[in-house]
Amino acid sequence: MKKYQARAIPRRKFMEMSFKGGLLIAATPSLMSHLVSCSSPAPSGPGLDLEKPVLDRVIAKALAQGGEFADVYLENRVSRQIIMEESLFRSGLYGIAQGAGVRVVSGDRTGFAYTDEITEENLLRAAEVASYVARNTELTVPFNIAGAERESFVTVRQPLGEIADTRRIEIMERANQAALDYDPRIKMAKIDYYDQVRGRVIANSEGLYLRDELPLMFFIVETLGDDGTGRHMSRMRISQHSGFEMFEKYTPEYVAQSAARESIAMLGAEDAPAGIMDVVMENGWGGVLIHEAVGHPLEADNIAKGIGAFTGKLGQKVATEHFTMVDDGTIPNMRGTINFDDEGTPAQRNVLIEKGVLKGYMTDILSSGQLDMKRTGNGRRETFRHIPIPRMTNTFIEKGKHRPDDILASTKTGLYVQSLSGGSVNPVTGVFNFTCREAYLIENGKKTTPVRGATLIGSCMGVISSIDAVGDDLDFGPGICGKAGQSAEVTVGQPTVRIRGINVGGSRA
Amino acid sequence: MDNKELTSKLVDRCLRLGADEAEVFLQTGRNLSVRVRNADIETIQEASTSGVGFRVIVDGKMGFSHSNDLAERALDDTISRAIAFARLTTPDESNVLPSDKGHTDVDGLFDPEIARVSMDRKIDIALEVERLAMEDPKITHSSGSSFGEWEGEVFITNSKGISNSYKASMCSVGVGVVAEKGDQRRTGGEWSSRRFFADLEPLDEIAASAARKAWELLDPRMVPTQRASVIFDASVAPSLFGGIIAAINGERVLQGASFLENSIDEQFASSLLTITDDGTIPKGTGSSPFDGEGVPTAKRVLVENGVLRSFIYNTQVAARAGVESTGNASRGGYTRLPGIGTHNLYLATGQYSQEDIIAATQRGLLLKGVTGYGINPVTGNFSGGATGFWIENGRIAYPVEGLAIAGSAAQILNGIEMMGNDIDRNRSFASPSFRIAEMQIGGA
Repeated sequence: MKKYQARAIPRRKFMEMSFKGGLLIAATPSLMSHLVSCSSPAPSGPGLDLEKPVLDRVIAKALAQGGEFADVYLENRVSRQIIMEESLFRSGLYGIAQGAGVRVVSGDRTGFAYTDEITEENLLRAAEVASYVARNTELTVPFNIAGAERESFVTVRQPLGEIADTRRIEIMERANQAALDYDPRIKMAKIDYYDQVRGRVIANSEGLYLRDELPLMFFIVETLGDDGTGRHMSRMRISQHSGFEMFEKYTPEYVAQSAARESIAMLGAEDAPAGIMDVVMENGWGGVLIHEAVGHPLEADNIAKGIGAFTGKLGQKVATEHFTMVDDGTIPNMRGTINFDDEGTPAQRNVLIEKGVLKGYMTDILSSGQLDMKRTGNGRRETFRHIPIPRMTNTFIEKGKHRPDDILASTKTGLYVQSLSGGSVNPVTGVFNFTCREAYLIENGKKTTPVRGATLIGSCMGVISSIDAVGDDLDFGPGICGKAGQSAEVTVGQPTVRIRGINVGGSRA
Repeated sequence: MDNKELTSKLVDRCLRLGADEAEVFLQTGRNLSVRVRNADIETIQEASTSGVGFRVIVDGKMGFSHSNDLAERALDDTISRAIAFARLTTPDESNVLPSDKGHTDVDGLFDPEIARVSMDRKIDIALEVERLAMEDPKITHSSGSSFGEWEGEVFITNSKGISNSYKASMCSVGVGVVAEKGDQRRTGGEWSSRRFFADLEPLDEIAASAARKAWELLDPRMVPTQRASVIFDASVAPSLFGGIIAAINGERVLQGASFLENSIDEQFASSLLTITDDGTIPKGTGSSPFDGEGVPTAKRVLVENGVLRSFIYNTQVAARAGVESTGNASRGGYTRLPGIGTHNLYLATGQYSQEDIIAATQRGLLLKGVTGYGINPVTGNFSGGATGFWIENGRIAYPVEGLAIAGSAAQILNGIEMMGNDIDRNRSFASPSFRIAEMQIGGA
């Protein structure tokens, strides 16, 4: 099977065929109407306005020595960050990052080069560097690029470019005040406000041309509780692809009070117990455990290499029938929502595990070709300086039938995990590790004493075959996911779940 | 106009546009990475890049902006943004820039040879290290190997008289492999990172180490939950000390978010523990003539025989604390404000080989891998997942995995009772193996 669309026939003939087959949609990108207005300064070069014939020439150059696929990615990112600590606005940061990457795929080989300055000359040079891996291979004739249409899942009511900086400041002051007012034992609050607008252009040898602009908001409140004998640092994060209206849904007071509540609740914590025990994990951000332990091993790059933990298990039962896991880049305005991935593939809802049976992997263009599977819209890149790799978007355990109260009440003893700090997994072995930030003992089906320093340790296969109850209270939390030196904005989600028998590391015997 | 002239022109431009004080941090660089898997090229990436960051102070308020568009119009706009942003922040007497205190001469930071080595040779190195690792009969798959290089130049100019630059390079070679046995699958990796191409470690040693790490823990067992000695292998020791370094970060100390905030000149750890930070080591991968804001680097003992001697500071945090900068401003590139970090960190060695330490251990864990966040800098608690070898009667008995180890910093650090001599000083965080008297080990 041909992995990549390429032109092996005369141009005119192709045009006839493609219109018949509906391969090409010759339309102005409808997305432009959704765009936020962003008062980004005019770059000194053409920036993202680089003309299509120039991109055609760059793609042709990239494939001049051989290779099967090439793409060009142009990006412009304008970011703002303001940090408030100890009730002082410590710093304001403003950044402009612009550039372009050119990639050539030849068999299993990838060549890549990038430039900070978007000019035809620099792009042609990058194309030449990237084409090195394809020397002396069969030639591919690229399609000329034409605009394609993609659905948008991001709405903006209050564009970031129209928000005065004083309004950002006001939000932060409200959060700071709410944190300090929560309890006299809150000794410090740190408020981190971040927003960005990322414009991107994707053009490839299959004739695709896409352009869009995604706003991103990220708001973090950290609080330190200290009662003279113990202390606890907690954190609450809110993030969306949207305009400034995010703060209508999540008020700064709500974010600050959520962080402060945990800081105070954990002050009386005792050392966590150690050993194998049942764990009930509260809905929301706890989904990060599944993101790490199951999501990463389901990214297709390690599967294509034949070394991933789920290699060769498609169609097999890998979890209990309570367990359905989904990656969905189309949930409106969520932090992991992407419209289309950074290779231009539309975002979609991908069911990865359905009622315990492994249904699919998350692919990018390269791994989908290697595995002869469909492109799932998971090819993401941190910036123009990075190559696309399979990444998650919004990843969650689908809600089940159990009532959260019943799950807790039917757990005689164990650990109730309300919030995790984060963790990591080895995608080849599937072994993971998580640190609990807020956790309680479960005694006789009730949440009792808060405990600190608990770590959850296990393997991905072990944990999903030990989930025996899934609640009906699906919720989400925003995160930053790191992989292969690249970070990506993601959302994780889960209902309340119970894991039977997981190893908990704690300092109490 | 060369880059040094450009930075000093840009400082003037900041002052003309309304800044009282200004710092320009300009960085240029070139990088190459070759990745190989299954005896073929997987990726080749190459790029040159440059950018500039502006830190300005207006009426005691601080603003920062950065751009990788170095055209004059774009730079003017970027500077104006920093000044506009500064006006939003709170005035603070500690918003100061360092004045010129010269720089430290550090040899061996830049190797012009790296760029002269041919692309084919670099590809061959990556191919060869993978081939050597795959020669081990217990190895079943390759995760890939790589050769990487980077060279760059940093220019810092500020309105207090600093105008300095240096050039640096780095190259590395590494490989990752998989050993499978039945349903078991284990990974192992090793790499070598050096300032100079000629100093890279022999490929056969890198390959053999990666392969051994992949298979040595096959057929692990579980042990019962108990308290026992834990020997930290040299390679995992940094996981324990990362939290200590965070806890002596002067900013955390000021914020009351460090478990060591009241421990200066106190004995908080075993007298076997001495930690030194040295930014001046020739060819050191963490060395530089000055820190991330132009303050000369130095050698500094942070912990001496278990006594905490110094916190670490950049200029702004030092001003808040009423002390001098320790030359520990870290800088994650031109897009970042100065933070606080260490240069080359190392522990003083003891008299024992790892074999001696094992032989002297009745029962315990030789820790080879640890997951998690190490010591929590706020509370001093430590917990993590552990893999390694179980030791009985002074001998390695069998591999173990899926264990959890935990303890408080006080127990762990005071419990250091044997210090090894097996240090690799080429790592920017170098430690020998050492033994902790007793830790909680969670197992079956």
